[in-house]
Amino acid sequence: MILLLATFLAAPVAQARTLSVRVTDANGKPARDVVVTLRPQGRPSPAPHALTGYSIDQKNTQFHPFISVVPVGATVSFPNFDPFKHHVYSFSPAKPFQLKLFAKDQTRSVTFDRAGIVAVGCNIHDSMSAFIYVTDTALTARTHIDGRASFPDVQSAPYTITLWHPYLSAPGNSVIRRVAAGTSDESENVVVRLRPAPMHNMSAY
Amino acid sequence: MVMVKSLVRCMATLAFACIVTPAVADPGDLDLFSAESLSLIGDVRLVGADGERAGSKGGFGKLRFGGDAADKRSDFHLEPAFGEAALVWQPRLTWGLSGTVVALAQGGPDFEAGLSEAYLSWKPLSNSAVRLSARAGLMWPPVSLEHSGPEWAVTNSITPSAINSWIGEEVKVVGGELSASINAGTHKLSVTGGLFDSNDTAGALLAFRGWALHDRKILLGRRQPLPPLDAFSASIQPSFSHPTLEIDPGFFRRPGYYAKFAWDPPASVHLEYLHYDNDGDPEMVNADMEWGWRTRFDNVGLVAELSPVWQVRAQGMRGTTRMGFPKNGALWVDSRFRSAFALLTRQFARGSVSARVEAFGTRNRGSAVTALNDEDGWAVTVAARRSLDQWLTLLVEGLHVESRKDARSQAMVAAQQSGTQMQLSLRARW
Repeated sequence: MILLLATFLAAPVAQARTLSVRVTDANGKPARDVVVTLRPQGRPSPAPHALTGYSIDQKNTQFHPFISVVPVGATVSFPNFDPFKHHVYSFSPAKPFQLKLFAKDQTRSVTFDRAGIVAVGCNIHDSMSAFIYVTDTALTARTHIDGRASFPDVQSAPYTITLWHPYLSAPGNSVIRRVAAGTSDESENVVVRLRPAPMHNMSAY
Repeated sequence: MVMVKSLVRCMATLAFACIVTPAVADPGDLDLFSAESLSLIGDVRLVGADGERAGSKGGFGKLRFGGDAADKRSDFHLEPAFGEAALVWQPRLTWGLSGTVVALAQGGPDFEAGLSEAYLSWKPLSNSAVRLSARAGLMWPPVSLEHSGPEWAVTNSITPSAINSWIGEEVKVVGGELSASINAGTHKLSVTGGLFDSNDTAGALLAFRGWALHDRKILLGRRQPLPPLDAFSASIQPSFSHPTLEIDPGFFRRPGYYAKFAWDPPASVHLEYLHYDNDGDPEMVNADMEWGWRTRFDNVGLVAELSPVWQVRAQGMRGTTRMGFPKNGALWVDSRFRSAFALLTRQFARGSVSARVEAFGTRNRGSAVTALNDEDGWAVTVAARRSLDQWLTLLVEGLHVESRKDARSQAMVAAQQSGTQMQLSLRARW
């Protein structure tokens, strides 16, 4: 029994590897801004690092960035760079809120204290849309322009990989993959189907 | 005066309905006059045009600018022109209730100024799957896919299509509309219903003059000139029409309506359909001999994004208009009209390039407006827009239109006419 436990604990802990995930669409083009989360199976996820400086700008009647990844407990500021007002809101269960942003009032902020996906809109400008992915693990990242998200120095345990994007054609807009335990670096390729962005800005007046 | 009273009544009703709702306004939300609630938008132009006398000068011409002589074509000539200047006031009463008032001055060929829009918008923040919004006041029904902004400016060109030129010049209502948008999974459906009055003469321009392509807009209580009329028509109709006129006695005794359905599927496509019926009484006439016109039309619209930078907008419209009493087995006016356009736009970082093709036509089976007024035509427009800085936008447009209408003989010009118009517009916004 002791021997078994020793074997289980000893070998993998010391080993670390780089896991990278490359996401492409059905045509083989890299899919950017897909949120990738790794969860080690049978172990707790590493807690996210508390960072500051998160912000979602309102500029040219758009939110920038469109998709943000923030750790639980993060405070996100909403500076308004447009010369007119915005009425930023979310009804998502993870964090319902509303902010009345005057052009002269540069910044208001919101603290996201629960993990989940927060869809953000503007009640004055229907075409404005953003998503905040509030994560409870350090192993969450967005894919870059090359469709790749990399996780250096992860344990050799088997992992569950969750991919999420608001326009991903799958239940819950997410897909799940599993990676077996191992000690060597590994690159997982995932092909996803993405819907075109909806055109919900047609009725603005 | 009746129109102003009805406008005030309409807006007051919506304001009351909104203010008494539980969402009591925070006094800090009130913004009546500030740099944000006031803006001034205007443009000056350099225009090159040829062809017959413009419709806006009482001719059969299809374009905003044309020749001066009533009875002959003009050679191509260049002239500076004042396009328009709009003072836009958008007071915010609460975060869900705001107003839009647009005072508009427009130049070329003739200067006029007045009230273009005055309505209240109500759009509460709601977590329900069905989101409601409303408007009430003086406004255009939501037909055009080419206009945007509170001042209702043409977005990608200078001149709108024939369909939306007609909406701009003759289809403006005093009324109220309620919209419900429903998020059904990845689909979004919107339903809009409007009740209105003060648009009883809509259709007169299409029957007497026909379609046109220009960006002059009808102002509250202002008249639109009609082309030369035949002897009988001139005995029953003045040489002008007031599009925002109420002919029936009593405001909202006989309201018109419009209904619109829009669908946003989970694709880069937007589809919409609108039905309009002004429910005018064709036998009702006022002291100036302006008649109630029963005008109905159906409009379908499509917006499709072919790629992040290529977009197509298209509309198709067909409708009917009737006016007067039966004579020789036909009403004085019994006309059908139809038109369609497709507009292809390529977006760039600081502007866009657009091309539009369209066709239009009318068929007239009335005893006063007869087959002589039938017309068929087409037009091609090419336009480019470039933002120079935060305040200035430069637009260039070339437009060619061909049309045939036998009634042009009343103005002593040939039935078949073509016109070319080049415009360079510098648009400013403060």
